[in-house]
Amino acid sequence: MSLPDDGGIVGSYGVVGSFPKDFDYGPDDHDMENGTVPPDNRPRILLMGLRRSGKSSIQKVVFHKMSPNETLFLESTNKIVKSDVNSTSFVQFQIWDFPGQIDFFDSTFDSETIFGGCGALVFVIDAQDDYMDALVRLNMTVSRAFKVNPNIKFEVFIHKVDGLSDDHKIETQRDIHQRATDDLADAGLEGVHLSFYLTSIYDHSIFEAFSKVVQKLVPQLGTLENLLDILISNSCIEKAFLFDVDSKIYIATDSSPVDMQSYELCCDMIDVVIDVSCIYGLKEDGEGTAYDAESSSVIRLNNGTILYLKEVNRYLALVCILREDSFDRQGLIDYNFLCFKKAIEEVFEVRQKTVIGSNGGGQRLSTDSFGSPKTNGAVAAKS
Amino acid sequence: MNAVVALCHFCELHGPRIIFSTQAYHNDPAPSLKDGESPMGPFRRRTATIGSTSSGGSERSVGGASGGQRTDLCEACRSIQPGHSGFISHDHDVGISYTSTQSPTQPQIFTMVKQACIRSLSCEVCPGREGPIFFGDEYHGYTLSYTFFVKDSQSRGFQRWYSIIVVMMDRMFLLNSWPFLTSNIHFIIQRIQAQALSIYEKEQAIKSQRAERINRQLHAPQNFYLRRGGTQALRSLLDLTGNKQLFRYLHMMFSWILMAGGSRLTERILEGPPNEEAFLDFASEEGEMCFLVCLTFPLLETEEGFIKVTKKELDSGKAPTEDENIEAEVNYDDGGPTFRSLSHFRNVIGSLNFHDLAYHIVTGNQVIVRSQYKSTLKSVFDVLKTLLPANIGTTIVFSNKYEESFKCNFLGLSLDTNIPDFVSSSELYMALDIIPKEQRPTDHTKVLVESQDPFHGYGIAIRSSATVPDKVPTFQSRVEQMLDNTSLDETVTSTFLLAIKQEWMNKVKMLFKFTRAGYHTEEETNKLLKILQAEKQDEPLLKYWKMGLSSQYKSHLLTESMGLAST
Repeated sequence: MSLPDDGGIVGSYGVVGSFPKDFDYGPDDHDMENGTVPPDNRPRILLMGLRRSGKSSIQKVVFHKMSPNETLFLESTNKIVKSDVNSTSFVQFQIWDFPGQIDFFDSTFDSETIFGGCGALVFVIDAQDDYMDALVRLNMTVSRAFKVNPNIKFEVFIHKVDGLSDDHKIETQRDIHQRATDDLADAGLEGVHLSFYLTSIYDHSIFEAFSKVVQKLVPQLGTLENLLDILISNSCIEKAFLFDVDSKIYIATDSSPVDMQSYELCCDMIDVVIDVSCIYGLKEDGEGTAYDAESSSVIRLNNGTILYLKEVNRYLALVCILREDSFDRQGLIDYNFLCFKKAIEEVFEVRQKTVIGSNGGGQRLSTDSFGSPKTNGAVAAKS
Repeated sequence: MNAVVALCHFCELHGPRIIFSTQAYHNDPAPSLKDGESPMGPFRRRTATIGSTSSGGSERSVGGASGGQRTDLCEACRSIQPGHSGFISHDHDVGISYTSTQSPTQPQIFTMVKQACIRSLSCEVCPGREGPIFFGDEYHGYTLSYTFFVKDSQSRGFQRWYSIIVVMMDRMFLLNSWPFLTSNIHFIIQRIQAQALSIYEKEQAIKSQRAERINRQLHAPQNFYLRRGGTQALRSLLDLTGNKQLFRYLHMMFSWILMAGGSRLTERILEGPPNEEAFLDFASEEGEMCFLVCLTFPLLETEEGFIKVTKKELDSGKAPTEDENIEAEVNYDDGGPTFRSLSHFRNVIGSLNFHDLAYHIVTGNQVIVRSQYKSTLKSVFDVLKTLLPANIGTTIVFSNKYEESFKCNFLGLSLDTNIPDFVSSSELYMALDIIPKEQRPTDHTKVLVESQDPFHGYGIAIRSSATVPDKVPTFQSRVEQMLDNTSLDETVTSTFLLAIKQEWMNKVKMLFKFTRAGYHTEEETNKLLKILQAEKQDEPLLKYWKMGLSSQYKSHLLTESMGLAST
């Protein structure tokens, strides 16, 4: 049994394409103008794992802002659920959330279409459960997917670690790591690299892990990191993250090591900015967006540290952590930031500019906000 | 219907699974004939077609997709308890058996249905998530799938996914059965959901699962293996609906769908476009189908583990009008002389009398015939009805008293029954007496036929106060012209009648459409009549024959003309 020969999965109509390709919507001209990649060609992140391991919860919490407690009431996923993430023209991917009950390597499904264009495979293991079955499935999934597409990046989320003590976490990770790599070696796949992350939807670890997964799919990552390095060294910034505002995953940071707490701080700052500007930043008729070209914010912490947020583009924000005394020269930092922003635009270039140029979204917003200064989302908070 | 109807479920443990599937088998006549005289009457057991439990199991493993399926059936994806093979019912009139089993036993069918089941639950997207969708291809067969939720307080998301699928190879047939299938499947689903909802509400009233889960989460004990182990054994659909007979009911409904779906659409060869009569036939068949719904299926258990579903004799399901017809054919055979054909009738009563009579008939006046023989009356009416389109002209073959003209166009009475005065004085009737030899008909009423004719010696008396206009409808004059030609035989006459009736029915349709399309001046109407080659004298006929249009056709016309008016 194989799929009808239409060469690929069409739109979001499930794995066994119900529509012949001709019936699909034509290419969206608007999207093409904007330089976005048609959904079929975007890199995919596959969420796989045993049933009840937390795949849908991860997807909902990270990309749909669902509160972690609400995930208790999710029903079981019965088909591949696809969601598009369109941050910018360079961070675009699809998340495919698989039902754990179905073996997609079965001949009923065309593994070529599922794994062929895939960027990363996230395998979720429930750390609160006996993970032996999961390891067997992991090994099977990795070896088969690798056969279909050797370019897939394999990521293993050791999930639901919120219930585990710190020692136990380390022990679990070590054990899973050991067994999984041994199993792969037994299967003759020493070359396959697995990355392991300890995650939980109740804290920021899931966002952090997902950030790392996404970063591997951004081909310009090296350049971005370089730019950030130049920015922080010239502006006396301690740490800078380039955030996707919607999902709060960071697509790049400078080369200094990431401290979990500073990442959490930055995440929370984005929440604060968006929340406040949702309340006070919208016009009286509810028009406008909570995040636009004028969005920026400074938060002073009582330990002499400053959080500084600046808009980079519609989806991205730069969040920096710096010492209070470095902030004396804010003009310099802002100037450097402008240079940085220009450089980013150059990196992702032309098409991005045509978006703003052609539909004028960004500019119109900013002129509007000049007209009514009180409405814009600039927030300065002190603590 | 050559199809498989199946209930599928997205099992929390096993993914998409076939729970219950019903198929039709054509009986192999040889083995079943022997025990035809069993005490069960016409409902005999059959052992040949369906394999025993063990062979069913081995066949299934050949079935591909999931080999060891049988062993790991959980409560939620099992419909038929171990030890039972399934349900079976027989339709002895046509020699078809309907069997329901956990899943189809033949490997090829199993593969097809399994594929359809996976697609139905895990691939295809129905807008609104619940509802009917159609998919398939030549190779795997075509599927109509109706997905739905069943409430379950213990499951994730408080509901579980089910679907009812109909798989067949014939795409046209499946799509043409769409309204029938979806409405009936919807009916079944509503019933299941209503039962499940009442159970769900009862359970929630006792202990809210929502609160329960949050509490469990917040006060999660250090022993965290509990969180996953806490899933209770998944409950079966029987528990969710609280209906222990659910699968019997499903068997009954699925079998009925297969049976009714098969007899709903039949192929026939059409010569030319279907005429009014064909439409009427379709309509009456549809009516009969509805009648079958009320059949009840009492259930009996047989020793092989099959549950036998017996059904009441179908005879009671016949439409009452048909009974009358049968009665008419049987009882009226009392030895009276009969008319063979329209030309024979015309010979007997004479062409002038026939002229008057025919005018009354085609314009819808009442015709009363009195005779001592019911068989004679019957033959008179049968012959005269050939002058009219199929569904106009109601008949009462024999009555003891006069019936009003709105009740019947043709009325048969005995010779001594009186016709009320108000009828005799009215213009809109015609009476025909067939006087037997014994009553010595007077010379001017005596029929002039050869001696071997059954009506030799009989008398015919016609009474009517109405005057027949000089110009009769064109239809009538053409029929009479044709009857004047003695060289034509029976078949030619009847074909001619059929053709000319069709011709005039078409004119009636045109006129009907015209009048319904809005207001028209008399001039416009006259123009149309001219185009239709209808004269003034045809109008009463056209008016009367409008009654003969089927209601289906009328409503179709009306919606169409409304559509035109709105554009």
